[in-house]
Amino acid sequence: MECKLAVSMMHDYLDDDLPGQQQRELKEHLLSCTDCRVKFKELEQTDMLMFSLMHHNPVASEDLVDRIMNSIPKSKKERGFVTWIKRHPALTAASLFLVVMLMSTVTLGNSDRQLVVRGSDLDQVVIKGDTVIVPSGKVISGDLTVENGKTQVFGEVNGNVTVIDGSLYQASTAHISGQVKSIDQAVSWIWYKVTNMFSEVAYR
Amino acid sequence: MENPEGRLTKLALKGDQRAFAELVELYKDKIYHLAYRMLNNRHEAEDIVQETFLRVYRNLDRYDDKQKFSTWIYRIGTNLCIDRLRKRKPTFSLDAEMNDQEGVDGYSLIPSDNVTPETELLLSETQRLIYEAIDSLPVKYRSVMILRYLQDLSLQEISDVMDIPVTTIKTRVHRGREFLRKKLGPKM
Repeated sequence: MECKLAVSMMHDYLDDDLPGQQQRELKEHLLSCTDCRVKFKELEQTDMLMFSLMHHNPVASEDLVDRIMNSIPKSKKERGFVTWIKRHPALTAASLFLVVMLMSTVTLGNSDRQLVVRGSDLDQVVIKGDTVIVPSGKVISGDLTVENGKTQVFGEVNGNVTVIDGSLYQASTAHISGQVKSIDQAVSWIWYKVTNMFSEVAYR
Repeated sequence: MENPEGRLTKLALKGDQRAFAELVELYKDKIYHLAYRMLNNRHEAEDIVQETFLRVYRNLDRYDDKQKFSTWIYRIGTNLCIDRLRKRKPTFSLDAEMNDQEGVDGYSLIPSDNVTPETELLLSETQRLIYEAIDSLPVKYRSVMILRYLQDLSLQEISDVMDIPVTTIKTRVHRGREFLRKKLGPKM
């Protein structure tokens, strides 16, 4: 056997990777070759020394575990939320849009809390505090729109009555020839604004 | 059959911090040992341990429990060590004396490693020699030898950790061992 092959077999032997038959061949060679015998002894010692280091564990600082546990993100729920967002970008964008829309309408609605009365024939209308009254016997020709107030109709309206964020009371004597609309939800309020905007644009 | 680490990772993924702490307890010393021998510096080794577990935590959902957990965490730790070594300043010989100052060499410029005199005493001459020999190994051999001996991994496991064919690992172990033998041989 050549010494070069023997050395390769020595390494395989140390890696537990040498079949029995070849182990016997190697042993035969070692018995006859002094150089290889010395080399094998050195390799074996190196191997054993290296393995012995396994049992000399250097000790890490005692607070290492605490440091690790402190460095990982605290809330797992937050993590779940973040991954959800990453997985559903379209839904996230849509819901974010909705939130922004709602926020703006709520703030818009809130900033706009004062009583607004619109109509073509407001002379006949009586306003007391936040209450808009169409007295009995009076006739209003045209539409009437009341925002943020109570509306009480005793007389006649020849047009539409629209009540936004308020209440509408119709007495038995009341007569409204057009449509009666009552809008008090933020979403329908937007809808009203949007359709109004479109019709305004269309009629201009 | 599910391994215990697989069960712990699932619990940790559900938000069980204690399960994750258990994983840390199981592997912190092994990763620390690996990193300490790779980098030969306690502070850097602790950084690596911390970073390894942070990555494990962030990627818990990607852990495939058909794979051994140890293989996965060793891969993360080994790669972090190799990255850290690459980022270090270009190597120069520590033994070379500085031009301007007599008797001053590179060793005196390395910040001390907090090894107290007591632990230094406990470190036998032979151990010191082996550590020096390991440190002088080129990185690609050093990582393989540390996984082979200090962590007692099989050649196949090292191949899985390093993502390198097992035949290459075998060659590196042989060359690494030969290198160490030459370093240690005359002193044994």
